[in-house]
Parts: sequence; structure tokens; C-alpha cells
Amino acid sequence: MERFDVVVIGTGPAGLEAAITAKVRNKTVLLLGGKGSSDKVSKAHTIQNYLGLPDVAGDDMAKAFLDHATKMGIEITEDKVNAVYSMGQYFAIQCHNGDYEGSSVIIAAGMTAMKPFPGEMENLGRGVSYCATCDAALYKGKTAIIVAYSKEDEPEAEFLAERAEKVYYLPQYDYSGSLGGNIEVTLDVKPESIEMKDGQAILNASGKTFTANGIFILREQIVPSQLVPGLEMDGNHIKVDRSMATNIKGLFAAGDITGAPYQYIKAAGEGNVAALSAVSYLNELKKNQ
Amino acid sequence: MVKKITTDEFNAMDKSGISVLDFNAVWCGPCKMLGPVLEEVSEEMADDAKFYSIDTDDNPDLAREYGIMNIPAIVVLKDGEKVDMNVGFVPKDTLKDFISKNL
Repeated sequence: MERFDVVVIGTGPAGLEAAITAKVRNKTVLLLGGKGSSDKVSKAHTIQNYLGLPDVAGDDMAKAFLDHATKMGIEITEDKVNAVYSMGQYFAIQCHNGDYEGSSVIIAAGMTAMKPFPGEMENLGRGVSYCATCDAALYKGKTAIIVAYSKEDEPEAEFLAERAEKVYYLPQYDYSGSLGGNIEVTLDVKPESIEMKDGQAILNASGKTFTANGIFILREQIVPSQLVPGLEMDGNHIKVDRSMATNIKGLFAAGDITGAPYQYIKAAGEGNVAALSAVSYLNELKKNQ
Repeated sequence: MVKKITTDEFNAMDKSGISVLDFNAVWCGPCKMLGPVLEEVSEEMADDAKFYSIDTDDNPDLAREYGIMNIPAIVVLKDGEKVDMNVGFVPKDTLKDFISKNL
């Protein structure tokens, strides 16, 4: 597998600037994200404080950013990142359509609006999990609740149901599937809170109570600490220092994901710093080999 | 080296000192990633602990005995007694720190 020098996740101003700077420094770059830059850029009415682009409309700004990247020979690989694993000397990036490897990674994925349910983080790994296929073996003869956010979760429910005694499936999307057998589908319930009691997981949702041995929450949005296991957070943001370094060696973050102010030029500036820090890290890595 | 063991082998083996158990499954993505990381850690900490890999699908009783609800899970045993557990993938340095603090 090709190992890229720098893998950049996110195509907003932070991600694009990081990719451009890494490219200028002659590094191989993999840029993962949406082809149309960030919605936060393209949908903005006008931006007045971006140096060199006075009174620019959001979609013009997005176009200027993307044109710049294209001119530098940077391509966007459109894929959804499921997880980034720090393997020691490199990173394994698991995506929807395949796996990639990078010597360093820059996370510029923007802010997620996602909020965990009360009781979710406290019981993570102790009955609350995000991967039903992972834990299926542990659910032989047991019961589980799945809170699902996309129809792609249906095969995961079926996989779990092959082993579990019973699966409660609570779709949070427009469900039109055909799950049956030992899978009980309950529509139109919104999860509110989770608690663990006597080894049982209890989910309160829209006035109903579901009880089972464990709960799986299969969200489309992933919080950064789940995206990169072991990543240190500062509230909802990734904790970084002035060089945009995180607590994991070789992993950097830039843009809104590192915290306020949520400004385009701040994001781009951080992308630049993160890329330069990644370049120094790569030089160090090379020296030690 | 991380040695793959069954429930029977686990029950029969000498558990004196520190043993590190890696509970996993073949279809579990994070488990697959943690495998090689633990392998490296086991080489570096060969003098401090013994390392074992347990497939939870083949050994559900052992998983139940150690209260494993989610995997990958790393359990540290001191003379056969469970002293600590960590659930989920962790980077190499974090994994080393986790094992070291239980030595």
C-alpha cells in the first residue's frame, strides 16, 4: 500500500491550505473529503475579512480555494473516514471505500454539531458501543439495542441478530427496510438518555424504556475522539498546541475542530501551521530511521 | 510475542507475574488494527509481561468471566487476578503506559 507523507482530512480552508503547503514542501499528499469544499464556505453570503478577497461571496471563495488546490496538482479523494489508527510509525486510515496509510495526518474536518446522549460517554466500552459487528460474538444469547442513523446500518443489525437473542432496532432515519425475525423495529422514538443498572443497559426514548444487555449507537457523524482513538480533547474540540500538534505524535489538527474563533482565515492559517509542523515531524522521522 | 490461546490453555497455564490478555474477534476492525500494535509492545516489554490473544467468538466463556462487553479489550492480570482493563483501540504509547502502570 502506498504510504502518503501527509494525509489531510477535510476540504474546508484549513484542509485545503494544509494540502497546498505540504505540496509546496514537496510531500506526497492525500486529501480526503467532499469535492465541493466546506458548506460553511460556499453557503456564506459574503465574507469581508479574508485578506486579498474583499467582499467575496461564499461560493466564489470556495471556487477560488478549490481552483488554487487544483492548480497545485492536488486532487480530492471523495471518501468518508471511519477511523484513524495511530500504529506507531504510521497511521492507518479506514474509509468507507477502502484503507489508506500516511506517515502523518492533519485533521481539518470542521466542527460537528453532534452531542452525545446523557450517559453515553460514561458507559462507553461498558455496554455502550459504536460497532455492532465488533462485539457480535459477545452477544450470544443476549439482547441489544441499536440506535441507527442510516439504512446502511441494517446489515449490521442483521449480523448482530444472527448471534444475539433479540435486537431492538430504533431507526432515526426514514425507515423502509424489511428487518424481521428476532429484530424488533420501533419507529418514531427519539433517544434521550442511557443508564446502566445491574449489568443492563436502559435507554429512555420518547416516553418508552428499552432494556437490554448493551446499546449500539451507529451515528453518521463521529466525534473526533472516536474518529481517532486515544486523541485528547478539550471539551468539544481537539486539544492542540501552537504548532497544531495533538497528544498523538505525527497527528495534527487545524480549523474549526480546534476551537473558536470560527473564522476562515484562522482556519487557513492553522492549516498552514499544521502542514509545516507535519513536515518537521516527517524530517525528524526520516532522521531516526 | 502475542500468543493465541484457547480457554482450556488459559485455564491450564501458569499465571504468575503479569499477563496481558487481548480479547478480539476476526471481523472487528479496531481489533485488527490493535493486533500489530500489541505485537510491537509485546516485543518491547517481553521482560515485563506475557501477552496472549483470545478470540471471543471461540472463547465466549472466558470473555464473560472477565466481564468483556465490548472489544477490543485489553485485560491486565497480576498473578491471575484482573487488575485493570482498557476498552477500544489505543495508540502504542498509550498502550505501553497502560500496561506499565500496572506492572
